[in-house]
Amino acid sequence: MAVVEVRDVTKRFLLEKSKLTVLEDVSFSVDRDEFVCLVGPSGCGKSTLLRIIAGLERPDSGEILFHGQLQTSPTPKITMIFQLFGLLPWKTALENVEIPLEVLGIKKEARVEIAKSHLRMVGLEGFENTYPHDLSGGMKQRVGIARALALQPEVLLMDEPFSSLDELTAKTLRSLVLDIWRDPTLPTNTFVMVSHNVEEAVFMADRVIVMSPRPGKIIGEVKVDIPRPRMNYLRDQIYFKCVDEVVAILERSGK
Amino acid sequence: MRRYFVGLVAGLLAIVIVHWLIMTFVENPEIQNLPYYTFRTLLRITVALVISVGWGVSFGILASTNKTASMILVPFIDLLQSVPILGYFPAVLILFVSLFQGSELAIELSAILLLFTSMAWAIFFGVVGAVKGIPVNVVESAQSFGLKGLKYVRHVILPAIVPALVSGATLAWCDGWFFMIAAEYIEYAGAIHWVPGLGSFLAKAAYVYGDITLSVILLVLITAIVVCINFLTWHRLMERATAGTYKPVLKLDLSGVGQLGVIRAIGHSRWLHLGERIHWPKSLILASHRLRKYTRLEKAIALVLALSLVFVIVYLTAAQLSLDMIKQGFLSPPAEELANLPRYVALTMGRLGIAYVVSLGVALGMGILAAEHKKFAAVFYPLYDIGQAVPILALFPVLFITLSRTFGGVIGLEITSIVMLILDMIWYMFLNIVSAIRNIPSEIREVGKLFGFKGLKRITHIVIPSILPAIVTGSILSWGTGWNTIIFSEYMPYGEKIIYLPGLGSYLDKAGYIYGNTILLVFLLAIIAAIVLLMEALVWRRLLRKFEKYHAEV
Repeated sequence: MAVVEVRDVTKRFLLEKSKLTVLEDVSFSVDRDEFVCLVGPSGCGKSTLLRIIAGLERPDSGEILFHGQLQTSPTPKITMIFQLFGLLPWKTALENVEIPLEVLGIKKEARVEIAKSHLRMVGLEGFENTYPHDLSGGMKQRVGIARALALQPEVLLMDEPFSSLDELTAKTLRSLVLDIWRDPTLPTNTFVMVSHNVEEAVFMADRVIVMSPRPGKIIGEVKVDIPRPRMNYLRDQIYFKCVDEVVAILERSGK
Repeated sequence: MRRYFVGLVAGLLAIVIVHWLIMTFVENPEIQNLPYYTFRTLLRITVALVISVGWGVSFGILASTNKTASMILVPFIDLLQSVPILGYFPAVLILFVSLFQGSELAIELSAILLLFTSMAWAIFFGVVGAVKGIPVNVVESAQSFGLKGLKYVRHVILPAIVPALVSGATLAWCDGWFFMIAAEYIEYAGAIHWVPGLGSFLAKAAYVYGDITLSVILLVLITAIVVCINFLTWHRLMERATAGTYKPVLKLDLSGVGQLGVIRAIGHSRWLHLGERIHWPKSLILASHRLRKYTRLEKAIALVLALSLVFVIVYLTAAQLSLDMIKQGFLSPPAEELANLPRYVALTMGRLGIAYVVSLGVALGMGILAAEHKKFAAVFYPLYDIGQAVPILALFPVLFITLSRTFGGVIGLEITSIVMLILDMIWYMFLNIVSAIRNIPSEIREVGKLFGFKGLKRITHIVIPSILPAIVTGSILSWGTGWNTIIFSEYMPYGEKIIYLPGLGSYLDKAGYIYGNTILLVFLLAIIAAIVLLMEALVWRRLLRKFEKYHAEV
């Protein structure tokens, strides 16, 4: 059964008194243990779609179902990591991870423990009391990941999580995210990522959903059947074939 | 276009009718001159604006395109604009009166000059900011196509400065109305010079005729004229000017609600790179604040300029000043009150402190409410727009006359003084706070929403920390303007006599205006400067450093 189901979602924005349709009748679903990637040209509404799933925005029509239940506001079961990390600059790394737990009403000692263990998991032991200001981009995103995982969500949404990092850091973090996804001891097993990097999408996802320029619609879907770990197939014909397939759909829509 | 003309005609008609109504129903020996006064004030501010625009654009372009000119001009102008306007006005007046042998022209010219000195900075710094804000790629492509000299100015610079010019001129216009009453009612060396105009008429209505009704009517009339002109000219110009600029002038979801005041001002502040320069400072404190942004060479030149200025003054005074004269200064009146100085300092600081706490609280509450609740904002911003158009200095006599009837002279003045300080300070606080709330990065907002921060938790964990730096900047600005206001808010002509509130401001006034004791005046100014600098070093600078890292890097 689908964990997340997007049904006929349409979203319009008001721009200078005229309505701009950003998403039009978008429907798809994501299964348990699945890694889905949304790709499309910039401005196609893929980030907006992710925000609608997270409950940060409301669709003008259509609905989001989580385990078959209507979903209209943020829930700890679905959480998100951001392109620019979204850390609170006035809180230390530890406090940043801690704070969503505080909102949930978890006691101080317990939440410090949870936060510490999650920082350790993303490799930030020893940086608990550092402020975001003094962390590198990659480390900030690690804090972002730890913060999201500390809530023990089922679904992790990622909005271009690696696009503001340099390629080497991005590579390391991609494997970190894949390790988390595959880890059977963690409850977080359903991943939706937005990207405009086709190679990255094919490298990570089970399924790549391709969107058209504005108004964003789903114009194609590519199932990626490359065995994992895919690091071994990056020079393989099967990898290039998948990438070409996605690019071909994108190019067709651009014309 | 047609709608605009209808609005224009209707607005002008309304102003004319209001004049006619006031002239018919109000009894006052000078009431027949009302249209003439309105005309004179409008003309005066317009002339000052035209001069300011001409000066601001030419010097602004010069300072921002020519490196040598910039190194000399910018620090020098920064220094000039930091001196409180009301402080150097008497000197200007003496100069003009002696030049024109006391004719009416001399008074008129000094009024225009006073207005110019309050208006020009907004335009100058706006132009400098806009030229420096032209994207490098535009400059480089213009150079690669061989655009040079006048052609470069015409095709690249002028189009780029239009929005800043319009917003700068709007602020200058408002500043002009603010200082209008100070420029038309000039008290010097025991004599009062009335420069014919709305401001002086208002002051006369309050002080000479003691007519509350008339002064309130005039205050409303002035506000109505300001609002009317804002809507008819600046608002429209602003809309046209902000289309097709390099940077969007902060488009808000509220557009169409608060048309001019705060939202626009926030917009400008962005354009003019005004994160830290929301309004135009009137005190020395800001010179040092801005000095930090200069390069080393610029700092050195500013230092040399300032030092040479000091040395010239020291030399000129030392040439005529003997130790005996200094002694004399500390012996002649009002030196006998020197023993009260600590009390005066405490009282003035107390007034400023009360006003600061009140304005911080109100501005914070209103700012957060207005930024978080659209319904509140829809009511609040238009109200704020109109309220903001009331020239605060003109409010002073009206408020005092009303309060003194109920509470008597001294208590009336005490309340007036604090209310004036609050009104003056709150503007800076509010503008800084609202623009900071507006500028909270969307990801931070989303994080708050995603993790379920609501109500008070949202305000304490997300909103307040992200605006702390802006609160400090607002505090610095509001204390700066507060010190300026205290100088004229602690004394007041009341019937036959002048009443003083015990305090540093009134003591300064006594030393300067009543006894002409320059030695004591300089001594008191030095004390104020010392307090200001001490507060900056001990409080504001520390806080600023602490909150520096609170800016999300986006």
